[in-house]
Amino acid sequence: MSTTFEAKVVGFLCNWCSYAGADKAGGAQKPYPHNFKIIRVMCSGRVEPEFVLEAFRKGATGVVILACHPGDCHYKTGNVIAAGRFRLLKKLLIQLGIDEKRLIMEYISASEGERFIEVITKTVRDLESLETAPA
Amino acid sequence: MSTRVYLCKCGNNIAGHLDLDALAGQISTKNEATEVVIVDFLCSDEGQEFMHGDLIGSQADRVVIGACSPRDHEHTFRQVLKESNLNAYLMQMVNIREQVAWVTDDRHEAEAKAGSLLSGAIKRVLLHQPLSDRELEISTDALVIGAGPAGMKCALTLASAGRTVTLVEKSPAIGGLPVLFEEVAPDFQCGPCLLEPLMEELLHGNHAHRIDLMTMAELHGLKGSYGNYLATVKQSPRRIDPSVCIGCYECIAPCPATITDTSDYRVARAEKNAISFAFQGVLPNAPFIDEALCLRFRGEECTSCLDACPMEEAIVFSQEEALIEKKVGAIVVATGAALYDPTAISGLGYGIIPDVITSLEFERLMSANGPTDGQLLTSAGIPPEKICIIHCAGSLEADHIPYCSGICCTYALKFSRMLSKKLPEAAIVHLYKELVLPGKSSIDLARKVRNQPDTSFQRFSSINTIQISEREGKKFVRSPEGEMEADLIILCPPVVPTTDAPQLSAILEANRDRDGFFEPLGDRLDSAQSTVKGIYLAGNCQHPGDIREAVNQGMAAAGYVLSGLVEGRNLQVSPVVAVVDQDICSGCRVCGAICPYQAIDIDETDGKSRINDVLCQGCGTCVAACPAGAISGNQFTHQQIMAELEGILL
Repeated sequence: MSTTFEAKVVGFLCNWCSYAGADKAGGAQKPYPHNFKIIRVMCSGRVEPEFVLEAFRKGATGVVILACHPGDCHYKTGNVIAAGRFRLLKKLLIQLGIDEKRLIMEYISASEGERFIEVITKTVRDLESLETAPA
Repeated sequence: MSTRVYLCKCGNNIAGHLDLDALAGQISTKNEATEVVIVDFLCSDEGQEFMHGDLIGSQADRVVIGACSPRDHEHTFRQVLKESNLNAYLMQMVNIREQVAWVTDDRHEAEAKAGSLLSGAIKRVLLHQPLSDRELEISTDALVIGAGPAGMKCALTLASAGRTVTLVEKSPAIGGLPVLFEEVAPDFQCGPCLLEPLMEELLHGNHAHRIDLMTMAELHGLKGSYGNYLATVKQSPRRIDPSVCIGCYECIAPCPATITDTSDYRVARAEKNAISFAFQGVLPNAPFIDEALCLRFRGEECTSCLDACPMEEAIVFSQEEALIEKKVGAIVVATGAALYDPTAISGLGYGIIPDVITSLEFERLMSANGPTDGQLLTSAGIPPEKICIIHCAGSLEADHIPYCSGICCTYALKFSRMLSKKLPEAAIVHLYKELVLPGKSSIDLARKVRNQPDTSFQRFSSINTIQISEREGKKFVRSPEGEMEADLIILCPPVVPTTDAPQLSAILEANRDRDGFFEPLGDRLDSAQSTVKGIYLAGNCQHPGDIREAVNQGMAAAGYVLSGLVEGRNLQVSPVVAVVDQDICSGCRVCGAICPYQAIDIDETDGKSRINDVLCQGCGTCVAACPAGAISGNQFTHQQIMAELEGILL
C-alpha cells in the first residue's frame, strides 16, 4: 500500500542572513514546498541541540539550520559555534536511532533568495524520499 | 489572559493568496482566549490607529500579528503596543506574506501553513515577559591613547566639541613618528612643520584647556563598559614640571651621566644625558630625567641640572610614579605600529654589518632634529656614494611577514628624491620584490625617481636570496641577478604591531587579528571600531597605512564618540539580551569563552558569570552553550522557542 507522504520540516533561520534570504525568496514570489516552516532566531548560535531533538520528538521529518556564511556572521562567530554543534549533534542522532541525514545545515546569505529556494526544495524532496525508500 | 491576533490583508498580497476568513475561524477555534481581527494594511496610519483603538478596547494582554516580515514592521507594531499601554515585547509577529502567501501556490496549503505558524506564535507569546529598555547615564568624555597624528586629531576634534579628553602618550613627546621625519611624502613638507599647527592647537589653542595631555603615561587598567569606563593611567615621573620649564637647555650640558641613546630619537647614533630633551623642538618643550642613568638613583647627591636651571621648581626630583583614575565614556586606541626587526633576515647582516640601516634610522639621520643634525655620513665618516634601498625587507614572505604594508615604496621613493637632492653624485639602486604605488601622487614620484641620473630599479624574487656582505672594507649586495657594491643600505621592513600591543589588548580585552593588529568590528564598514563597544581604533595599531589613513580613522573614532555619547542623552540599553540565573550558574565559564563582545565577566566574589547588558548584542550563543541552562535569552527563551516549535508541528 502506498501513501503520499508529506514531510514536516522545520527550519531555524537566523535573522540577519538566512531569514532575510527567505524573505528575498518571498519577494521573488517563486514557490517552494509548503511543508517547510520557519522559526526565527537572531543567530544560528542560539540553536540549542535540544530544539532539534524536540522537533524530532514532536514528529518532524527533518530539521534544517540555516546560517550566515563563515566569516559573515552578524555576531562574528555564532555560525561557527553552530557548525560545531551541528557536527556533534549528527553523531548523537545516530546513537538515538535517527538517520543523521534528517539534520541539515546550510549557509544562506541575505541575497541568496534563489539558492534558498533550491536548498529547501531539494532538502524537502530528499527527506520525503527517505520515508518512501525501501526498508 | 487574552490574545488578540491581527491578520493583515496587505491589499491583495496576502488576502489574494489565502482565505483569511477561514484562517481566522481556524485560529479562534483551535486556541483559547484568542480573538482574530482582519485588517487591511496594518502598517498604514489608519491600520495602526485602528490597532491602537482596538487594543485598548479589547484589553488584550498578548498580541500576535500575521503580516509581512518582522524585519519590516516588528518595530512599527511594537511602537503601537507601547502607545496602547501594552508592553512592546508582548507581541509576536508571523511572516505570512514573504514566507507563506507569496511562495505557496495552493491556497489550502497556504492557509494550513499560516495556521501552523500562527499557532506557534500564539503558544509562544503566552510565555513572553514584559521587557523594558534600561536607561543609563553616560560620560561623554574620552581617553585617547597615543599622541601621534591620529590621536592628536581625534583629541582635538573631541575637545572642539566640548568634550574633556585625556590624551595618554607613552613617550615624552607628542607627534608620533612623522615629527621625526625631515620630509613627508608626497608633498615633501617637513614632518614637524606638517604637524606644528595641530600640535600648537592641541597645547595652546582655544580648546586646549579641555585636553589633559599626559606624556610618559600608559594605560594601566580599565573597568566598566561603554559610557561608563573607569580607566587607570600610570603616570611615570618626568621629574620636570613642563608648566614651569622654559626649555632653555641649560640643564643638559652640566649632567655628568651619558649613554648612547638607542630610542627612536637618536637610534644609537648619539649620546644623551640622564636629563635630556627627546629631540630638538620636542613638544612639550621640556626635558625628562632617565632614572636608569641618573646618578641620584644610584645614591649620589648630584644636583648639576638643578644648579644650572634658572627657574624655580622646574626640576622636581621628588616626583613619583602615580596611578590616576579617569572616568570616561569611550577609549580610542591610536598607538601606532613598529617596524619588523630585520635581524630575523640573516642574509641582510643587520646589526652586524655597518651601514645597513632601517628606514626609520635613515629618517633620523636625514632629520634636522636627528642625532647627526641631518648630516648623512657612513660609518667611515663620509657621505655615501653608492646607496642601495631594499623594499620589501621581510614583506610578502611566508616565513617573515606575508602582507604588504602599502607605505614603504612611497617612502622609499621619497628617500630617493631626498638623496638625489642632498647627494647629486650618488648612485642609487632600488631593489624590490613588488612595487606598490597607490594613490594619486605616488606615480608622479616614481616617474621623477626613474628620471634621476644614476638611479636604477631591480626586481628580486625573495628577500631570502639577498646577501649583504663585507669584504676588504667594502659592502656588497648580492642577488641572483648579480652583485653590487654599496656603502649605505637602507632596508624597508614591514609595519608590524608594537611590542606592547598584547599587553594593551589584554587590558582593553580588545581582540587582535592574526597579524597582531587590533581587530576591527568590520573590515569594510567599521574599521575604526573594535569588537568591544566603546573602544575605537585609529591608525597603524589597526592596519598598516600612511598618515592620511591614520588621521581619517582618528576622525572616524571621534565621530563614533560624538554621535554615540551625547550630553543629556542617556544610553538606551536593549532588553533583548542574555541574563544569567545566579542560582543555577556553576561558574564553568563556557559562556565567557564564546562571547564575541567580551560581554560576560566572572564576578570575583562568587565566581559566577555576569552579563553586561550594555555590551551584550543578544545573539543567544551563550544561552545555547550553557550546560546548565542557566542563561536566559530575553525574547528568545528556551521555553518560548519550544512552545513555538510545538505549535508549528501540531
